[in-house]
Amino acid sequence: MKTKIRKKGVISLAVITVEHLSKNFKVKLKEKGLKGSIKSIIKPNYKIIKAVKDISFNIEKGEMVAFIGPNGAGKSTSIKMMTGILYPDKGEIRILGLDPKTQRKKLAYEIGCVFGQKEQLWTHLTPYDNFKFFGAIYDLPSSHVEKKIQEFIELFELEDFINTPVRNLSLGQRIRCEIVASLIHEPKVLFLDEPTIGLDPVVKENIRVLIKRMNKEYKTTVVLTSHDVSDIEKLCKRVIIVNKGQIVLDDSMENLKYHYLNKKIVEAKMKEAVNLEDQEGITILKDKGYNLKMEVDIKKKSIADAIKLLNPDNIVDINISNIPLEQIISSIYKDGEQE
Amino acid sequence: MLTEVKNQWKVTMLSIKYALQREMLNKVTFFSNIIFMMLNNACFIVQWIILYSLKNEVGGYSFKQILLLWGIAAGTFGVSHFFFKESYELSETINTGKLDAFLIQPKNVLLSCITSSVEVSCIGDMIYGWIMLFIYGFTLKNALLFAFFCITGGFILTSVAVIFASLSFWFGRVEIVANTINSLMTNFATYPEGIFKGFVKILFYTILPIGIVNFLPIQLLKDFNFSTFLIIIGVTILFIAVAFFLFYKGLKRYSSSNLMNVRV
Repeated sequence: MKTKIRKKGVISLAVITVEHLSKNFKVKLKEKGLKGSIKSIIKPNYKIIKAVKDISFNIEKGEMVAFIGPNGAGKSTSIKMMTGILYPDKGEIRILGLDPKTQRKKLAYEIGCVFGQKEQLWTHLTPYDNFKFFGAIYDLPSSHVEKKIQEFIELFELEDFINTPVRNLSLGQRIRCEIVASLIHEPKVLFLDEPTIGLDPVVKENIRVLIKRMNKEYKTTVVLTSHDVSDIEKLCKRVIIVNKGQIVLDDSMENLKYHYLNKKIVEAKMKEAVNLEDQEGITILKDKGYNLKMEVDIKKKSIADAIKLLNPDNIVDINISNIPLEQIISSIYKDGEQE
Repeated sequence: MLTEVKNQWKVTMLSIKYALQREMLNKVTFFSNIIFMMLNNACFIVQWIILYSLKNEVGGYSFKQILLLWGIAAGTFGVSHFFFKESYELSETINTGKLDAFLIQPKNVLLSCITSSVEVSCIGDMIYGWIMLFIYGFTLKNALLFAFFCITGGFILTSVAVIFASLSFWFGRVEIVANTINSLMTNFATYPEGIFKGFVKILFYTILPIGIVNFLPIQLLKDFNFSTFLIIIGVTILFIAVAFFLFYKGLKRYSSSNLMNVRV
């Protein structure tokens, strides 16, 4: 079932292989106002939007990969092509050796999908009945579904609301059930499209624990899209960043941090006010006299030199931190846009 | 293949069962929807009572045949709108990207989608249809034929709805066209065949198959004819095949959407 990929002389077992994938959408253009509407009926103008442009990547078994990008970058379109929802215009996709275009049904038995924005559960039924329904969809024997539900109740702590209608659950409990429902058939690959959207931090953390546990227990390969950097940072070891339909970065989280963390944030509380201005390697982010926040590019100026500028005897308190991952990702998005 | 059909049948029935359970959450609404639909249908008979007090025959139909025609029309409408309610919302489902949820399941997308909810008031239509058959004349033969024609007619009505809704894959918002066609199929179904002539009659035996859904069953319930019976079966299969073909052909053009939605 798995495709053998030869990469730099190493044979790896890829469960997801995407090669030169492209997808265009034809969008009708309309000028403003009634006149524009009439004109668009008589002589419609169309624009071709290149949602995905020639992207290629492989994902190996058990990997948890963040597939991220700004809105409209093409990540959802790519995931929809990988799951058989959309037909690609060009390129090849193999998920566990199956082609989503021609083997959608076979593929559906092997993958699970959770779309944070689109609920699949019947809201008037309890999670238990929903899981039974999903079991039937995947042709699982009733006894097997029953066993699986018991296992999930214990593993994902569902006992408090397993018999409560979904419409009476909190959003967090509901999303948890959505994820669990997508696991009933033990999928080998799970696509999570913004699973933590709209959840509070505590619930988000619970969902992350669930995803981690699932990856550990069942060795499920996870492809995650999220705008929440904490999701990505806490769950994924690899990041694929898509912007304007193209992959702008495909690297490990470690490398991403290493390469982009050459800037440090120095926050200092001073005894006396200092007047510092931007100079090579130093950007003043905030200067409130006694409180100073600056960004130090350690390739150009060492932290020690930066502290010397403040006069160490004048420092009451100091905090040196890395640039938040969120900021790194935003700068990658912006770089992509400038290109 | 047989196991696949069996599994599909199991899921379809489960889906209808759960959809019915949802509608039964409110007992008062559930029963009042059914009863008021029967009363609604009964109101239309009044005009025919008045008409038949003046004439013995209208368009070649006796009063009892008109009642049977209403029975067939209500029965076929009931079967189609109860079991396949979502075929009448299919255009919107396509345009708003709600097909995604069905596309990620290892089942027939069209069947899963159109059976995902039920129209409770249509139970009233189905009951009304059987009441009309009782008034017309209940025999085992009539009952079996009536049940069979309600199913074939229900399938044809659903197929027509799917065919026109599938045009959404090519032309976007076609709800008005699809709804108009569906309304025509229902509105003209309650008039005797004899009042339609020429081109309209051709339409009724082709793209608006009211003749196959309603008029031929009336003929067969009066005078059974095996070749006409086979024509009904053949046309039903043809319409189902065209509906599936068009839907799956169009599905390749499906563009989904990122609208937020909930299965309620």
